[in-house]
Amino acid sequence: MRDRVRKFIFDNFLFGADEGSLKDDDSFLEQGIIDSTGILELVAFLGEQFNIQINDDELMPENLDSVNCIVNFITRKKQPA
Amino acid sequence: MKICARCILPETFPGISLDDNGICNHCHSFPEIESLMEQKKEYENRFVELVRKHRGINEYDCLMAYSGGKDSTYTLMLLKRRYGLNILALTLDNGFISPNAFSNMCEVTKNLGVDHLIFKPRFDLMKKIFLLASENDVYSKKTLERASTICTSCIGIVKFVTLKIAIEKTIPFVGYGWSPGQAPVQSSVIRTNPSLMKATQAAILRPLSRLAGAELKQYFLGEAHFSDPERFPYNVHPLAFLEYNEERIIEEIGNIGWKAPNDTDSNSTNCLLNAYANDVHVKRFKFHPYVWEIANMVRAGIMGREEGYEKIYGEQPPELINEAKKRLGLPTN
Repeated sequence: MRDRVRKFIFDNFLFGADEGSLKDDDSFLEQGIIDSTGILELVAFLGEQFNIQINDDELMPENLDSVNCIVNFITRKKQPA
Repeated sequence: MKICARCILPETFPGISLDDNGICNHCHSFPEIESLMEQKKEYENRFVELVRKHRGINEYDCLMAYSGGKDSTYTLMLLKRRYGLNILALTLDNGFISPNAFSNMCEVTKNLGVDHLIFKPRFDLMKKIFLLASENDVYSKKTLERASTICTSCIGIVKFVTLKIAIEKTIPFVGYGWSPGQAPVQSSVIRTNPSLMKATQAAILRPLSRLAGAELKQYFLGEAHFSDPERFPYNVHPLAFLEYNEERIIEEIGNIGWKAPNDTDSNSTNCLLNAYANDVHVKRFKFHPYVWEIANMVRAGIMGREEGYEKIYGEQPPELINEAKKRLGLPTN
């Protein structure tokens, strides 16, 4: 899961930058990697790739603003209720 | 220069790869038209349900970001007539709105029976932003795919001025006229929330303030605006989930008084700065800032490849570029 998320970020936002240029805890917004429209593209990708429904109230930096945030968020979403 | 044989993206576009047949990676990963149609229906149903729930409760149902261009005029008409919303149209006058666009706005709002607010930020500040954005790396690389740095600056201010007014007036919907090529259907009906907006605002305000000064803050949300999540509106861009046919749109908005302007470039129907912004972008980044939007429309079958090619690879009108430069205080050719 982590690799798929990282690959999406590198392919779509960092355009083949060096793997070491993004740490899993780096904030996408603070580092200027993703903007508001980019967040929505990320949400569309996560929904399709991991077959999850992301609700409006889950569109928060805490869930989406770094590789680690995303991995933790998807893991929680995938857990049976 | 190599150009995708299907969608018109050039080889200079960030992250592109072309296969042996000259088809790009974006064309290969584009969803099937059928599944796109299903998604569109799903999002329109969602919006209709929200309209039922929120219409008629507050002074206005919807604050429409209205540029006076073709797409925002059509969106304004749909929100008013198809969904029956009471709308306040809001125009941010960046100092470059064409006289024809102003005349269209007057006719359209009069004929639709819509209140209209024009907000004109200080021109010296806007000018400073446009000049700095055209020369500096202000935004994320990703934004370069979708628009010129000048447009991104202007739209960033539009988005936050609009959100600010929607929150202050407790308006439940904010309407945008993004074309289906500009924004995906998955983002066509989304409720904004304080923590995400705070973070995205910081992402645009931080670099802009560094260049243009702290005075810019007045166009953005203050601490008080973030205090009540219930006042945060739904962002809606209905052209992502409705049929989009440019000829029919022009015909329909013609019936409410909109006339195609003859004073703008081929990619804008309202802004006199656009040709210059495009020219700067093409020279700096070696691809046209509208190519992503138009390529998406070509892929989705909304626009023919030839028409798309003409819009992107035709020459920018030099007289419009010079006029914009003159207003910005730059030397002309």
